Amino acid sequence: MSGGRRTLPYLLLFPGLLWLVVFFVIPLVYMGELSLRTGSLTEGFFFNWQFSNYSDVLSDYSQQFLRSFIYAGVATLLALLIAYPLSYAISFRGGKYRNLLLFLVVAPFFTTYLIRTIAWQTILTDQSPLVEFLASIGLTSNGRILDTPASVIAGLTYNFLPFMILPLYTSIDTLDRRLIEAAKDLYASSKTAFLKVTLPLTAPGIVAGTLLTFIPASGDYVNAYFLGGRNQAMIGNVIQSNYLVTSNYPAAAALAFILMLIILLLVVIYIRFAGSEALMGDEASAN
Amino acid sequence: MSDKTTSRNRMRKVVIGAAGLGAAMVVAACGGSVGGGSDAEITTVSKGDAKASGTLVISNWPLYIDENTVSNFEKDTGVKVKYVEDYNDNTGFFGKLRPQLEQGESGGRSIIVPTDWMASRMDGLGYLQHFSVPDDLPNVEANLRDDLKSPAFDPDRAFSVPWQSGMTGLIVRTDLAPDIRSINDLFDPKYKGKVTMLSELRDTVPLVMKADGINPDDATKEDWLKTIDKIESAAASGQIRDFTGNDYAGPMVRGDVVAAIGWSGDAVQLQADNPDIEYRMPTQGCILWSDNMVIPVGAPNPNAALEWINYVYDPEVAADIAEYVNYITPVDGAKEVLAKKDPELANNQLIFPSASYTADCSNQPSLDAADEQEIEQAFERAITG
Repeated sequence: MSGGRRTLPYLLLFPGLLWLVVFFVIPLVYMGELSLRTGSLTEGFFFNWQFSNYSDVLSDYSQQFLRSFIYAGVATLLALLIAYPLSYAISFRGGKYRNLLLFLVVAPFFTTYLIRTIAWQTILTDQSPLVEFLASIGLTSNGRILDTPASVIAGLTYNFLPFMILPLYTSIDTLDRRLIEAAKDLYASSKTAFLKVTLPLTAPGIVAGTLLTFIPASGDYVNAYFLGGRNQAMIGNVIQSNYLVTSNYPAAAALAFILMLIILLLVVIYIRFAGSEALMGDEASAN
Repeated sequence: MSDKTTSRNRMRKVVIGAAGLGAAMVVAACGGSVGGGSDAEITTVSKGDAKASGTLVISNWPLYIDENTVSNFEKDTGVKVKYVEDYNDNTGFFGKLRPQLEQGESGGRSIIVPTDWMASRMDGLGYLQHFSVPDDLPNVEANLRDDLKSPAFDPDRAFSVPWQSGMTGLIVRTDLAPDIRSINDLFDPKYKGKVTMLSELRDTVPLVMKADGINPDDATKEDWLKTIDKIESAAASGQIRDFTGNDYAGPMVRGDVVAAIGWSGDAVQLQADNPDIEYRMPTQGCILWSDNMVIPVGAPNPNAALEWINYVYDPEVAADIAEYVNYITPVDGAKEVLAKKDPELANNQLIFPSASYTADCSNQPSLDAADEQEIEQAFERAITG
């Protein structure tokens, strides 16, 4: 084996590694250092291992942390409940329209995220027929949806739905249909075949979809800002206001770190629970 | 200064350890953005004899100028103007531009337009240039309204010149909330979930203070914190629906919000779309403020900037601007010019308020630097439910 061959993988890795170092590792180190500073805007912020920044923001903003994870969790669950039947139907019953249907799933991306979220303000305004209908059957608090938890969760679900559908669709579509036939040949009912064959084999799609939805949804602040108002602030809004409004950079950095660590922890627990097999698919089980 | 350098050096070491020398240079460039700047020297600008030329970049608030003034200025002076409406709110703009200002750069801008307290903060941090010779601005000297000549934060108008002034008060939907006249009415359970307040600390809190009989000019830290508490519990109970920048306009037009703490000029503009929207002087009076033209450090072409500031203080020009933006013009003589063109507008109390109309109003208070951060953070916590 020549020397060139041995260095080739490293050369190929180099652009990716460089990107990771410049845009991830360095900002991370910088943020970590910033989160341990103390001071004020006028005096400057000085580094002195101010670990109390972390406990301070955690006690000040525990409510917003909790709210973020609850909203993101509920939105992820709703997205899964909507996306699974949808992806299943597109894959099994889509026929020649499958590509068109998939295109329709992605189509909203052609309009910017911001505009679509703002459009929901108009859809959910207190005077809208939809909200009046929901209020008449008693499904609203004080006759409104906008600026309540419901509108934020609805916005999150709507905005992240495609991130749930696409991995689910891929994993459902690559499912070997003969396995379902085999199950039925062995006298499994449709329900049993689904629970014993389809669901376990599409688990990688479920895990990927939930992660792709939950992680960005927990850090999101656009939906809470436009659809929830200040009273539904999520942790992203708190970080934004600490960084840009009160210029409390150490607190903002500490919050960002805590958010990252909690998400990391939740993801690790989740993968343990769901099994790395599900995430990695066949490769993990082959190993 | 030495503290800042040490902390910067220490950080540099951390980074070299982590990611190598090239990386350190990247971070060192960001590192400067964390230190205070109160020790900076004051730089001054003067026009000298040179005639203004070249390009001038102005950052102003959205919808804050008429359509002709910029092109007229270009024609009259030969200066090319890039007029950018990227000043959306004081804190947000400051947060984004500060790292550059800390490096002595203004991002190419020669004029920015912060509100009084923000102009004061920027100057305190050494981010603004002072006008060195009064003769550079003869129109300002001649036409600046007397009541604006010596504000507490800049008694000699050494670094700031008002662009427009305005009132913070009540904006109501007269068809949906006909009886709201006092700030206290916003706390009336009848309007639960139908009122908003501004997310600007120095607008909202002093107004609520006035409603509680506290004079914002004499308010102590405890008064501020107590008032913020009151606002916080009203927000937590759902009485106050949201805290907004000037995006209260949409919900108000839709009718989701029937009364808001808002800015006078917005009301005049909104009224054109919906005649049911009206500015009401709160029974306790309003908060008066100005947005000021300032020249940041590192501003290219300060010569043209001074030329511009002087230009908009011509009463003819000021009248054009006032006619469009509907805020209070700081320029004497603009009313007389406008009276000939549009007498109705010239008699509008929101654009040319009489002394009796604003008798109960207070100037936007400035906070004691020692308490500022604590009060700001308490307010942010209160409005972030």
